[in-house]
Amino acid sequence: MNSEHGGRLRTGELTLAYGSQPVVTDLSLGLPDGQVTTIIGANACGKSTLLRALARLMKPSNGAVYFDGQAIHRLPAKEVARRLGLLAQQSNAPEGVTVEDLVRRGRYPHQSFLQPPSRDDHEAVERALELTGMQPLRHRPVDELSGGQRQRAWIAMALAQDTPVLLLDEPTTYLDIAHQHEVLSLVRRLNREEGRTVVMVLHDINEAAAVSDRIVALRDGAVLADGAPDEVLRPELLERVFGVECDVVAHPRDSRPVSIPRSRLARRGSRTPEVEPRGELRAHGLRLGYGKREVVPGLSTEIPAGEVTVIVGANACGKSTVLRALGRLVEPRAGQAMLDGRDVHRYRHREFARRVGVLPQSPVPPPDLLVEDLVAAGRYPHQRWYRQWSRADARAVERALAATGTEDLRGRPVAQLSGGQRQRAFLAMTLAREAPVLLLDEPTTFLDIAHQVEVLDLVREANRERGVTVLMVLHDLALACRYADRLIAMKDGAVVAAGTPAEVMTPELVQAVFGVEACVVENGQSGAPLVLPVYGHRDDGGRQAVLAGRAAVEARTPRTRAHTEVT
Amino acid sequence: MSAVPIVERRRPVANVYLGPVAFRVDVRCLALIAGGLAVLAVLAAWTMTLGSFPIPLTEVVKSTVGAGKPEHEFIVRELRLPRVLCAVLVGALLATAGAVFQGVVRNPLVSPDIIGIDAGASLVAVWWIVTGRDTTFLPVVAFGGAAAAAMGIYLVTWRGGVAPGRLILVGIGVNALLGAATTFLMTRYPIERVSNAMLWTTGSVYATSWADVRVLAGTLGVLLPLTVSLMWPLRVLQFGDDTAKGMGMRVEVVRLGLLLSGCGLAAVAVSIAGPVGFVAFVVPHIARMLAGPMTGGVLVLTAVAGGILLLAADTVGQHFLPVALPVGVVTAALGAPYFLFLLYRVNARL
Repeated sequence: MNSEHGGRLRTGELTLAYGSQPVVTDLSLGLPDGQVTTIIGANACGKSTLLRALARLMKPSNGAVYFDGQAIHRLPAKEVARRLGLLAQQSNAPEGVTVEDLVRRGRYPHQSFLQPPSRDDHEAVERALELTGMQPLRHRPVDELSGGQRQRAWIAMALAQDTPVLLLDEPTTYLDIAHQHEVLSLVRRLNREEGRTVVMVLHDINEAAAVSDRIVALRDGAVLADGAPDEVLRPELLERVFGVECDVVAHPRDSRPVSIPRSRLARRGSRTPEVEPRGELRAHGLRLGYGKREVVPGLSTEIPAGEVTVIVGANACGKSTVLRALGRLVEPRAGQAMLDGRDVHRYRHREFARRVGVLPQSPVPPPDLLVEDLVAAGRYPHQRWYRQWSRADARAVERALAATGTEDLRGRPVAQLSGGQRQRAFLAMTLAREAPVLLLDEPTTFLDIAHQVEVLDLVREANRERGVTVLMVLHDLALACRYADRLIAMKDGAVVAAGTPAEVMTPELVQAVFGVEACVVENGQSGAPLVLPVYGHRDDGGRQAVLAGRAAVEARTPRTRAHTEVT
Repeated sequence: MSAVPIVERRRPVANVYLGPVAFRVDVRCLALIAGGLAVLAVLAAWTMTLGSFPIPLTEVVKSTVGAGKPEHEFIVRELRLPRVLCAVLVGALLATAGAVFQGVVRNPLVSPDIIGIDAGASLVAVWWIVTGRDTTFLPVVAFGGAAAAAMGIYLVTWRGGVAPGRLILVGIGVNALLGAATTFLMTRYPIERVSNAMLWTTGSVYATSWADVRVLAGTLGVLLPLTVSLMWPLRVLQFGDDTAKGMGMRVEVVRLGLLLSGCGLAAVAVSIAGPVGFVAFVVPHIARMLAGPMTGGVLVLTAVAGGILLLAADTVGQHFLPVALPVGVVTAALGAPYFLFLLYRVNARL
């Protein structure tokens, strides 16, 4: 494959805009051939927009994207599609389409009307299925696959397109660590073995560092840094990109850089002593399921009052279902979910709602709703239809707005906020209830690292300052370890381990729960364990035997490469 | 940091405390309601001056309050006023019903005339008329038809939740089915009874009486306050079932209450004026554009706007076209282009 420096794909003075709002301005960027280039940046920095323009999905308002010197938006769509394959951020397969069918559709740019599929088509499809390990699943409908399998099917479709360049937009969103690992190992292998040029957008910097040859950091539509991972992943640079202080340590296995965003709060010992913890949750022999499917076969656990408890586990292990049962959103088939020693279903509706605030996964705001009204809606359990507003309501709303820093956003429609702002607004709505227990289902989905830290800091502040009991489901192990007083690891609907993060998070557990090889080291600032997956680029897809255990224990004290102190 | 243009909107809100009773009042919405009522009064008075026997405006006003000339008083109070009041009340009922359905299903494309609620009421009412039964019970019977259609649609759509897309598809199917059944009834019965039913199904406030006004006003008097108070939980229900349940709401109870009152509003309007199309669908959108997301206040505004729209449409149909047309034809002519425009807008946003 062509590997001259500079690359076949490049942008020249590219300006991209939605309406009159420029998102990317005057960007000139070469994308080297045969390398994995990852674009990183905060939410709404223009990284996905740039990728869309590279894929010819967006017409530049100025400048152009060039492939082999030709401006791609002047080329016919099919011709571009023979050179550039795209995996869009969220793809929906039509109902009932099988994997093979989907992959075959990737051959569209090589076919024409009335022409039967050629031998080339057939071979490309087979090869794509083989490379992604999807042969055994070829006759299964795409909508019945797990998240990781589905993402692999879509990648197979992009592969069947047989293009020298692959563009991937957030290929690991929604995936747990095991599936993320699966997808990124595949990307790595495609590049190493097939020599394909890969350009992708990732929001997880550490994943980016693990699989990329080159990282491009964007901020406000301009390139802030461009280079090898260890050149870009420097604390001062990351702070400029994401607006959050980061520590950077070296991975104990391959010494690649790993960044850890700093929390504003110290981890332990800062709880105000006079605050009395409130609200203890307990699950007793819980059996939960949907329809014929049993998700949780019988689970007993305890969520102590006044602590932050985090449930971790692979996709579809039942962690959200347990949270929903404790929040009374799911009726158990057997067993009990209890709040302060009483079955949650024995509380009156509003009384329970005044004690437990639930934030479901990715809530959707009604159109045109203003932030202030959203937060005010959180007071519902304290209100009656004839007493729709009280001074206590007004005060609680003000407090919630202040705590989440959303006061300045109060007059804005929720639909117009960025991901981080929106999540903060929903958190404010949940906080406005001033319930002693908070149940949060994946509160950091869609957020970049700065916003993740921001939201979780808020949650912990509520815990430390007001003694609120917090139960969260998180799929990010690093965040889970950092913010949890107590960690519950689940697999197939059962609790595998529970205890402090340091007790629970061992390489053996990560292997057992997620099927991923990982190192566990101690995080400098907080002392919490940090899980670092090992990305192999072998033919077995990166799933190696557990060797990490010893190595990781020896590597408990990481080298801190740089440290910036900003107050 | 956001690439989207920032739109700041602050609505002036007054908090009213009366002992244990407390409300937030949207001042702008209140002003709009007052303005709407004024427009309605002027429009109604002016409409009553029109007709084959023109009456000056001052006489209309005098006759309305019972101080006009006897011949004017008869025309205004016995012929024109009931029709005007019926048009206003039918418009208000239909618009409110539309707002309720759109809110419950969380979809701007849903209204009782599109998803077959009106068709359910029509089918039963036509059967009632063509079989020659006593028409005093027509509103009750029509409500039965509407409620049955709503429950049927709901049950067929329900799969652990109501997906708006599926509900619309099922609703359009049910609408077609019930329409076909109505046509079938009309071909089976004697022509003189059918012609009665026929006029009724085009949607018209022609030849309405004080008895009709009493039924409509009674329904509005009971159901409007009920739905206004249900807008309070609906606001939370719109975040989705999980969030609403998490807030301590009995989601099924609230939803059933809303659906039944929506059916009641639509059915009574339909039983008197026939299935007048598009009012239920269009007016809530207009009200939301004027006053923001649906609240109790905006619902009242919706009712007022519905009254204005239907009265205006009836005035146009009766006096300003070469042939006098039933109001349903006029609203359809107005509503259909708006429906297409809305679909276009929704698509443009996606």
